[in-house]
Order: sequence, then C-alpha cells, then structure tokens
Amino acid sequence: MSQRPDDPPGLLDELPGEVMMWVLIISELLVFGAGLVAFMAMRLTDPAGFAEAQAHLHRAGAALNTVVLVTSGLLAAWAVHAAEAGREARKRALLAGAMALGVVFLVIKGMEYADKASQGIGIETNTFFTFYYLLTGFHAAHVVAGVVLLGLVAVLRDPRATETGAAFWHMVDLVWVLLFPVIYLIR
Amino acid sequence: MTRDPLIRAWGWLVALSLAGALITRAPDVTGLAVVILGLAFAKAWLILHHYLGLAGAPSWRRGFDMVVAGFCLLLAALALLA
Repeated sequence: MSQRPDDPPGLLDELPGEVMMWVLIISELLVFGAGLVAFMAMRLTDPAGFAEAQAHLHRAGAALNTVVLVTSGLLAAWAVHAAEAGREARKRALLAGAMALGVVFLVIKGMEYADKASQGIGIETNTFFTFYYLLTGFHAAHVVAGVVLLGLVAVLRDPRATETGAAFWHMVDLVWVLLFPVIYLIR
Repeated sequence: MTRDPLIRAWGWLVALSLAGALITRAPDVTGLAVVILGLAFAKAWLILHHYLGLAGAPSWRRGFDMVVAGFCLLLAALALLA
C-alpha cells in the first residue's frame, strides 16, 4: 500500500540516511556481536591461556588506532554537513582526510600483524589468535571497503550518497569501539 | 567550550578511549571488565547518537541503546564468569 502525502511519517522515515544502509549496519553489528560473544564464551574454557596470549598484543597501538578512527569519523560527519550545505570542495577535503586516517589505521594494523608474524604467531597458534585474526582481519577488510566507499561518494555531487558513505564509516567505527576492549583490554 | 556537538562527541570519544587504555594499568581486580565495557558502551552511545545521527530518531535511539546495553551486559557477565 503506498503512503499518501498527508500520512504521518512512519518509523522508517525517522531514520537518518538510507534504510538499506541501516539494514547493512544492523547485519554487520549482529555478525561482529556473535563473533565477540563466541570469543568471550571460548575464553571461559581457558582464561589463563587467553590472558597469556593477550599479553602479546600491543594495547597502546590499538588505543592509538581508536583515536585515529574516531577522528576519521568526525571528519566524515563534517563532510555530510558540508555536502548538505553544497560546499563540495570542503566535503571532498574532509572525506580525503577521513580516508587518509583510514589508511593510517590500516598501516598501524599491518605493523601489528607484522610484529605477530615475527614472533611466529599466526591464525593457528591457539584459539585466542584464531579469533583475534578473524575478528580484527574482518574489521580491517571493512576499513578497506569504507575507504573505497568514501572515495566513491567524494566524487558524487549527492548529499544522500555522502550520508550513506559516512554511515558505513561510522559503523566501522562503532564495531571497533566494541571489538577493541573485548580483544585487547579485558583480562 | 565548543558549541559543535560533533566536536564535543569526538572529545568524549578520545577521553573515553584513553581512559579505557589507562585503566588496564590498574591492578587486576574483579569488576574491571565491567568498567571497561561501561566505557565501551558510552563510546558506542556517542557514535550512534552523534555520528550516526540517532539523536534525532528517538524510537530507533531507544532500540539501539537497549540492544547495545544488553550486548555489553552479556559480555560483562561472560567476563565475570571466567
């Protein structure tokens, strides 16, 4: 049944941006959420082994990456405002900044993986590192996708496209702020 | 103090991230995981409300708040059981 112009706005109309992006955001949160719950459940079977493995992680680097991502999110949110105001040059500059910080995140993550490899730690080392590589690797893949998406919406003169790209980027941010404490901080 | 809610949200996000990292230097006491997950919930709340714009969508905001809070409580329960 189609909605008439004088009908009150529905629940979906309340959502900022594209509904399909919110479907994707909720789906991704469910996938990562299930992974983190599985990680914490497996931790119950070997708390000492998980604590010993976690000691190999570089918390300061991961904390720095949190600051990098939330700062990148700020630039993406500003880019949406710039796009809505028709300030194309500012929008592109802000999205370029957000993308650059996304690359910084990936470089720091790559250094972390290289450090683990130099210690002979891989995905099959133990259960902790299987989850570590799967969850952080899947997240890093989303960062790559987000950088590409921000690049695409930067060249489009459509504020809705910018809002959709930024929403994906904020989802990547949101997943990280939940993943970081579970993998790196909780002992 | 800035009037831009995005800058305020970013400031809180940075402060909470640093607090989360620093708190792990504290002695390993029972309940530390609850504090860490509380900080994570606060960061998720800021991203949902200010970056993703749910502050202007009250029904969705309540729904997301409840689900994320329930998720953090589940993780906290699993952390305390270990």
